[in-house]
Amino acid sequence: MQTPSPRKRPKNLNLFTIRLPVNAIISIMHRMSGMVLFLVLPLLILAFGMSVQSESSYLEMAAMLRHWLVKLLLIALSGAFFHHFYAGLRHLAMDVHWMTSLQKARLSSRLVLCLDVLSVTIFAYAIW
Amino acid sequence: MLIELLTKKYPGMRLWLAQRLSAVAMAVYLIAFALMVALTQPAGYQDWLELMSPWWWRVFTLLFFISLVMHAWLGVRDVFKDYIFNLGLRAVLQVLVDVLLIIYLGWAGVILWSI
Repeated sequence: MQTPSPRKRPKNLNLFTIRLPVNAIISIMHRMSGMVLFLVLPLLILAFGMSVQSESSYLEMAAMLRHWLVKLLLIALSGAFFHHFYAGLRHLAMDVHWMTSLQKARLSSRLVLCLDVLSVTIFAYAIW
Repeated sequence: MLIELLTKKYPGMRLWLAQRLSAVAMAVYLIAFALMVALTQPAGYQDWLELMSPWWWRVFTLLFFISLVMHAWLGVRDVFKDYIFNLGLRAVLQVLVDVLLIIYLGWAGVILWSI
């Protein structure tokens, strides 16, 4: 009896035909935003230190934050923060068994995405 | 049941719970912080300093940073375990992250107690 060679098994690894479901997108974004937040942690502590150290360092910090490039960076970081925050709350809700059916999980994933966009928009408007 | 899961037999459960508790602590702190900023509307250095300097607020802020470091430690650890398969490399990176996080915590503490 001839067994088919493993090499001839059909494959479907065309990434353009594989679509992540919305829950998976939320999940990987939660992980990526977490890593981003970890990487910028020293900048956050530095900014906090400068803001309370003295009046001159406070003003220096404030001037730096007014640069448009820094503002763009802050908006991007706010996206990472808001996503991590809302997706984290979603995790906590599921840990206490709220919204655990597939249908409700999809709904809460979409809600997280909406809140992300809304929060980043408000944040961008507020700092510009 | 829950208490049993938290005994030494299941060390992963404690870490799991620590990840959740630190998340809740940070969320509560950040909401309180946003409310304080919204209510007092700090307009300059003096206002900002007044907002941050009460001792109880500095204790809360330190608790926030402790939660942050614990949360980041667990999170980065999970990411390393999922993507870095070379055990030696993973151990080295983990030590690096551990040292960094301890430095961050010390740094935040020094800042808070020199206000």
